[in-house]
Amino acid sequence: MKRTLFQRVVCLFLSVIVILGSFAITSSAGEYKGAESTSSTLEEMKDLIGTDSYSTYFASALKSLNKELQATLGEKEINITEFVTNNGDVCLTGNLGNLKDSAGGPLVDRESFESYWESFDDDKYGASSVYLTTINSDDKASNATWRFTISADEVGFYNLYIEYYNCKTDESSVSAIQRKLLLDGKVPFSEVSSITFDKTWTYKSNTDSSSDTYYKVDETIVSKADYDKASKYSVSYEQDDKSYRKIVVEYRFEDGQYKRVKHTYTIGQDINGNSMAPLAQESSQWNTYICSDKSGYNEGYFNFFLSEGTHTISLEAEREPMVIRAIRFVPVEVDTLESDGKANSTELQVGSDGKYHFSETNSFEQYKAALGDNYNKKANGGKIVTLQAEFPDAISDSSVAASNDNTSVATYPISASAQLFNIIGETGYDSLGQWAAYNFQVTETGMYKISMRFMQDALQGMFICRSIKIAGGKDYVYGYNGSAVAPYVEATQARFNYSKEWQSEYVGYYDAQGKHHDFEFFFEAGQDYTIYLECALGDLKTYIQRVETSLSNLNEAYLQILQYTGSDPDENQNYKFHEKLPDVLVTLLNEAQNLTETADALEKLCGTNGSHIATLDTVARILYLMGKDNGKEIAANLSSLKTYLGTLGTWINDSKQGTLKLDSITLAPKAKANSDNLPKATANFFESLWFEICSFIYSFFTNYEHMGLKKLPTEDDSAVNVWIAMGRDQSNIWRSMIDSEGGFTDQYGKAVALKLVTASTLLPSILSGKGPDVYLGLGAADVINYAIRDAVLGVSGNDPHLTNVQNAVFKDFEQTVKGNNLLDPADDNFSPAAMKTLTIYSPDNAKGATGGVSNHPDNTDVTYGIPMTMGFAMMFYRMDVLAELNQEVPETWDQLLEILPVFQANNMDIGVSYISALDFMMYQMGGNMWKYTDSSIYESKYAGAKIDLDSDIALEAFEFVCRLYTDYSFPVTYDTANRFRTGEMPIVIGDYASIYNTLVVYATDISGLWEFSSLPGSHEKSVYRSEDGTIIYKSETLKAEDAKAQGLTLISEGEYNYNSLAGVAATVILKGCEKDVNRLQAAWDFVKWQTSASVQATYGNRIVALIGPAAKYETANLKAIDDLSWTANEKAAIKNQMAHLDAIVNYPGSYIYSRYMKFAFLDAYNDGAEPHDAMMSYIDAINAEIERKRKEFGLDTIPKGEDAPLKDAE
Amino acid sequence: MSQENVKTVDKERPVKRDEMSKWQWTWKEMKKNKTAYFMLAPFFILFIVFTVLPVFLSIILSLTDFNMLQVPGWEGLDNYTRLFLEDEIFMLAVQNTLIFALITGPVSYILSLLVAWFVNELPPKIRAVVTLIFYAPSISGQVYLIWKTLFSSDAYGWANATLMDLGLITDPILWFEDANYVMPLCIVVALWTSLGTAFLSFIAGFQTVDRSMYEAAAVDGIKNRWQELWYITLPTMRPQMMFGAVLAITNSFGFGSVVDALCGFPSVDYAAHTIMHHLNDYGGSRYEIGYSSAIAVVLFIIMFGSNILVKKALSKVGE
Repeated sequence: MKRTLFQRVVCLFLSVIVILGSFAITSSAGEYKGAESTSSTLEEMKDLIGTDSYSTYFASALKSLNKELQATLGEKEINITEFVTNNGDVCLTGNLGNLKDSAGGPLVDRESFESYWESFDDDKYGASSVYLTTINSDDKASNATWRFTISADEVGFYNLYIEYYNCKTDESSVSAIQRKLLLDGKVPFSEVSSITFDKTWTYKSNTDSSSDTYYKVDETIVSKADYDKASKYSVSYEQDDKSYRKIVVEYRFEDGQYKRVKHTYTIGQDINGNSMAPLAQESSQWNTYICSDKSGYNEGYFNFFLSEGTHTISLEAEREPMVIRAIRFVPVEVDTLESDGKANSTELQVGSDGKYHFSETNSFEQYKAALGDNYNKKANGGKIVTLQAEFPDAISDSSVAASNDNTSVATYPISASAQLFNIIGETGYDSLGQWAAYNFQVTETGMYKISMRFMQDALQGMFICRSIKIAGGKDYVYGYNGSAVAPYVEATQARFNYSKEWQSEYVGYYDAQGKHHDFEFFFEAGQDYTIYLECALGDLKTYIQRVETSLSNLNEAYLQILQYTGSDPDENQNYKFHEKLPDVLVTLLNEAQNLTETADALEKLCGTNGSHIATLDTVARILYLMGKDNGKEIAANLSSLKTYLGTLGTWINDSKQGTLKLDSITLAPKAKANSDNLPKATANFFESLWFEICSFIYSFFTNYEHMGLKKLPTEDDSAVNVWIAMGRDQSNIWRSMIDSEGGFTDQYGKAVALKLVTASTLLPSILSGKGPDVYLGLGAADVINYAIRDAVLGVSGNDPHLTNVQNAVFKDFEQTVKGNNLLDPADDNFSPAAMKTLTIYSPDNAKGATGGVSNHPDNTDVTYGIPMTMGFAMMFYRMDVLAELNQEVPETWDQLLEILPVFQANNMDIGVSYISALDFMMYQMGGNMWKYTDSSIYESKYAGAKIDLDSDIALEAFEFVCRLYTDYSFPVTYDTANRFRTGEMPIVIGDYASIYNTLVVYATDISGLWEFSSLPGSHEKSVYRSEDGTIIYKSETLKAEDAKAQGLTLISEGEYNYNSLAGVAATVILKGCEKDVNRLQAAWDFVKWQTSASVQATYGNRIVALIGPAAKYETANLKAIDDLSWTANEKAAIKNQMAHLDAIVNYPGSYIYSRYMKFAFLDAYNDGAEPHDAMMSYIDAINAEIERKRKEFGLDTIPKGEDAPLKDAE
Repeated sequence: MSQENVKTVDKERPVKRDEMSKWQWTWKEMKKNKTAYFMLAPFFILFIVFTVLPVFLSIILSLTDFNMLQVPGWEGLDNYTRLFLEDEIFMLAVQNTLIFALITGPVSYILSLLVAWFVNELPPKIRAVVTLIFYAPSISGQVYLIWKTLFSSDAYGWANATLMDLGLITDPILWFEDANYVMPLCIVVALWTSLGTAFLSFIAGFQTVDRSMYEAAAVDGIKNRWQELWYITLPTMRPQMMFGAVLAITNSFGFGSVVDALCGFPSVDYAAHTIMHHLNDYGGSRYEIGYSSAIAVVLFIIMFGSNILVKKALSKVGE
């Protein structure tokens, strides 16, 4: 950021003060124990923000390369064989079969590597492969390093090839493999700070023909006569009441035998005839990764410059384990390098195998030349092959899934009464690098054209690109080692223009004159090919990149204006922008110009001016107005500028989203590739009308309750009734997890009837006695509300309303909650804080109502559910802003308040909701919402009899929070996502999953610039007991002799407390279920299954796979977090906060305190009331309500002005 | 009188009204008009099951400690004594409700009437458009939420930003979370959304007035438009006015969800806490259905009473 000299001096001065100040304070506070920091240090943040981009890296490397050397380069591949490792306990070398974990057990499932093992060539790749997990035993991201030497004649540019195996662990994990690449210990350029290795997914792994979706291969031996007669390859599709099938028949001559091989792919249907979503499985296999830009901005592969000497290359784990068998640097022919880093080889490469290897660095002309005579073969006798897009053979991501589209009757297959899968790409197939792949063969060698029936209605007035890559071939091989590549560079940008209708055309590219050319590809008969359709940006990338540059310049300009004028400048004041911020005005005008030019160029490129492009003009206009500031425009338009920055961000997102619905792909021999042989794009008016009428009529007869059911629900009384009040997607996932193979029913042999309801139906249903046995996701406050009114059953085995036999069902409650090792907190399945919110003292139990306490006779507290989800607040921060302001991530509130002046000098704020701050601050300082909760001092029957908001700690916490908003001017209301994105609010505290989910879709322009970590901590009070028994709190721990002199005994020493408060929703068993013990057992088994780590992780991953990365699931199971798709750092941060959780217990009347706390806060904020007095004025009202409520339930109360008797007094 | 006697009477001669009891007479009339009753039955059954019965049920429940989940126990008049003698917040709610109803009820009623009168004077095509414009806020459901944007507590909210621009305030005002502003703002929003069904019925009412009556009145010596309105127009459309009044009363007493959406629940310091909110507070968050039924009964009585009052007032129109 550019600054004037004055500002620099001021900033320097301020930062010196702050740094000195923080030294003074931290040294006085002394060393504190507490949360292990998972946040980035200032140095790390600066490194991350300060890394050069690839273009800068390449330009400087090119300069340093001695021109004379060039001729001798590009001869030899560099195979890296020497493995060194930094943390040897997890990154293991050696033959894969011998891989061991630190305890000596086998690290990987050897069987899954057997196939690889046979083909593994020791000589070629070296004898070792490296298994790289995500987190090592120190809970840090694991990493692996290799060493290699470059001799003088090898200096030059290289492409990086990595051969890796995506190893599937127990359950397919939806997140891609991510690694940080380091050359000589540092990230060479920012694009490789996180590189993504594709996984391959397939629907083919299920071969069980009794299930809905399966893949089957039948081989039969046929006579030579039959073989000769038959067409060697054919694809057909069938659809009936039961299923929709793709059938591929091929004839092969193998091992001296003539074979007919029939492949059947099936998508099952429910009783209404709707297609049922098949489950994609990760398929482990060896892949070759060529290091290139996944964001699509840099064309071709990255060129790494390797100088003479010894180098190291390291991969640091971010997500997902992988096995690496080879890392290779393949030389780039240097004389073809242009200054922008694109490589253009002049000839086709003939590999060591003597075959032509097509590469996407070729032009179409080169491709043609390489084919020679073959180019003239038009495959006259070849058959037209149509591939329905809803049957991909492999996909890059589980979200690339088939779906239904009934907008056109010309789509195949179509049904007016049901939703059949007939397209791909409705959702989840739109991010750069995602692909779907289709296998095929042709029946005659020659040139082919590819047509597609598609709908591109997402990007108005613009186009969407797919890169067409091909793998396979015999004499002509596509790509390196048969990996998929585009045969020529033009094929990387197949263009799909906008239309509201379905379109059907031969795909091709547009030349500089805007003329369309169909792609032509050469295929050999009888060879297996795979065509990959990969999301790409094509020609759009330059323009999107320009807008991105504009956006980041404008963001900076906005922050500069903001720092100068504040968020709400006065229109009548003359700010003299010309003198103070001349650079900003230039930026505004430049970017206005830039955006206008981009819009014009895009218009020319696309041929139309849609509303999408017009957005840029609108933004440019206001920038122009502000840039020519006549004294008032900037002040008047500052808030619109903020909105427009958001608009630009959205524009970039939208332009990168390549949503393309695809119905079918057709391969036609060049001779037959004319418009007659195109699939029909749209149906005629009468067909469409009739179809619409039929659909309308059928819509009256469809029973939507049966959606997704394989058979009609039987009136089976033994089935456990489970209600779920979530979305349809969520309930479908649960249903399939219950019913699928290895699911609950399969495992336990007990039927479950899952019903999707709205949450408000639960209460009336209990009232009428028609309630479910199990309910998923009941909020903790409701659990207690229902529990004290006997509507849910205790699951801790000591519910006084259950008989001994019934209570015995819950004998493994403790193991369920605490894991098998009851004494080890690290083995807990659920946070003790979460359990606290579901547990309440039972008066009947104390009276020994039925005495049915099986394992804990003295335990009067009953737990009424098992936690399902658990949310809590964490701290999100902008690393770039903190790095720029030279600030460490605050770990305590003291540190946070030290940063605050620096923020406020720059007109920045900190965002935290006062409602949550009021609660967690009190607990962080060592307070409690309720009195008499300490069972070592008071009898548990008095717990929660009074509110503890009038205690010293609570009042101090309350005052502290009030001061944050009054004295420190924290904003009370704010738009989290927007302000965090613009950088006005570099630190935001809030529920981790919901903020993460918002930012990940809404603020993609700042992705990688933010992180989250535990809440800042507060120093607890030290607790003393004086000689007369009263409890005294001290902010600082007294020296032992001082304490003795004052007659105080230390009860607990204060330390830093980083606690966040857990908000829990639980799975509960409802009353009525206990009448039949077998049913109760089944319900309890279901609850245990549903909240178990593996099931929770599977659910969390599936929901992300289905809805996208913004559907992160807040599981309550502490062990499930390991298997959810967070990065290693995120996981560490979440686990750290999970270890620092507390919760407010729900006692009768607990609804009352939050409103009065809010009133007290607002009194202090609005009317300037003294916080202490404001809070105290409501205490009586709160206690009166609590007392009234406790009487209603026959609980002990403490009259006003009295305290509960101490336990030892009795 | 025995049944046989009635039958003999029936056969012999026409029955006289005073020869039989009231019930017998009714029964006879019902048999005679059975077709009418038959056609009335569907509505009547639904009305009884879903309107009359719940009212009685709620009166019964108000004498118990029903909590939605357990079997209710008999409490007698405890709920009512607690409501009137112990519950301070209820008194606050009654006070708020009355302020609210007394301001919004009549004002919105008179506003509807006047606007309808003015709109009625417009040429038919323009009238249709203007009617739609005035009616729009009440048909567009959640549209009152734009007030939330206008009076957002954020420094970027329109009202706050304007006031800060003018230099009147330095920190944003928490409009809907500040006891000083909550009630007036809610009343403004209520008035804004109140030109609803009543307004439409007034417009319809104005159209039904027979033109010839104005001519006759002119002959009889009506001096100006106000007299025309008072002596002819309004008395003619008394049914529409009654309808409008009932709506205005129910709306102004039952204005709860809008306050919830704007100010949250409960509103700060109970500043906009109406009887409706008090009812929801006990019925919803505290599971005390018995007590909230008592509140509902009180609200019912207040509404019923004001209906009678309004009816009396309306009968004075044109006199």
